Amino acid sequence: MSAAQNSTSPAAMETDEVPIEVENDKLEIISGSHNDHTSMTFSLKDEDHTLGNALRYMIMKNPEVDYCGYSIPHPSEAKMNIRVQTTDRTSAIEVMDKGLQDLIDLCTVVVDAFKAEVSNGDFEYDEDAVWP
Amino acid sequence: MDLSGAPYGSLGTLSGPSITIQELKKDRISFILTETDLSVANSLRRVMIAEVPTIAIDMVEIETNTTVLADEFIAHRLGMIPIDSTDVERIKYTRDCTCSQYCSECSVELTLHVKCTEDRTKIVTSKDLVSNNPQFQPVVEDKNDQGILIVKLRKGHELKLKCIAKKGVAKEHAKWSPVSGVAFEYDPYNKLRHTHYWIEEDAGKEWPVSGNAKLEAEPNPDAPFDYNAKPDRFYIETETVGSLKPEDVVSMGMKTLLDKLGYVQMQLKEELASHQQDQTGWSY
Repeated sequence: MSAAQNSTSPAAMETDEVPIEVENDKLEIISGSHNDHTSMTFSLKDEDHTLGNALRYMIMKNPEVDYCGYSIPHPSEAKMNIRVQTTDRTSAIEVMDKGLQDLIDLCTVVVDAFKAEVSNGDFEYDEDAVWP
Repeated sequence: MDLSGAPYGSLGTLSGPSITIQELKKDRISFILTETDLSVANSLRRVMIAEVPTIAIDMVEIETNTTVLADEFIAHRLGMIPIDSTDVERIKYTRDCTCSQYCSECSVELTLHVKCTEDRTKIVTSKDLVSNNPQFQPVVEDKNDQGILIVKLRKGHELKLKCIAKKGVAKEHAKWSPVSGVAFEYDPYNKLRHTHYWIEEDAGKEWPVSGNAKLEAEPNPDAPFDYNAKPDRFYIETETVGSLKPEDVVSMGMKTLLDKLGYVQMQLKEELASHQQDQTGWSY
């Protein structure tokens, strides 16, 4: 990614999940063949199997996707690469965005289901019981 | 994505993920997550272990230590003490804070001063730690809990120190993990053959099925292997160290995962916008 592109992005955003350093290049598109927006490799900083595998699964669910795979190139580099190849009806960025949105929707469903279940209270509950 | 229907038509009968809580105790929760993929269930497991923020002692300034244990040994023991992190959201990460080193916005100060003046052994426990913020106290199980032993003192021994507890995640150090363990199981009868057992004589005798098997129908041993089957029922049980409630660990775990995804999505949009500004088009 060129320096010019970097400067267009606003100042580093801080979120809870990122350890230690201030970041400004969470996501990077690794250059591949020119003008081919159907195949891309996204390099995500400070991410691992937690995001990689679930995202890979979600992207692969999309019928417009020919290939999606992820790898962590080196264990001591906090970095995860995710490769997307799509049909020419869409673009890799679009598919990536859809994958992320789908996973967000899925997680939201899980959170809501969990919260509903907790407030429903239809389970064995014992406030004081600890370490039997 | 329509999770109530059949997204992409390829999920077949999937009706969207659901959760059934089986048991909720003060320090543990067990639930069944169904109709999701293994990767999603595993993300939840991973995020609960390593990415739910808690408070733990991170820096120790020792003023006096005439005990039998070395300074660094005591500092390490202090780090492992769980601190009630129910209000962890009110504390910032030190790296996000505007202060130069640490302040009350991004840390909790705990002090300890114990001296043994009697002839018998005096024990120093997590209960001797005095917090400057009542919301963040070392975890006490119940009235009978005597606290976590830090060191034992003989007559004349003294320990005086100041601890700085900070917010963090277990990805950096396991002391920040809110859980002591997560049990994760699917397919207790091994119908999918993801597990390969070492068998001496009789598989049934040597590998008794787990408790979760009671919740599934026993498979017909003559049934042909279904090579298309995918795991879709996950038995998860997590036990906390006491710093967070078990139900909060699960929901905060999912929230962390959502935050991560949202952040990546935002970055992707930015990347896309910066490309579209570039009139030459796709030029990397």
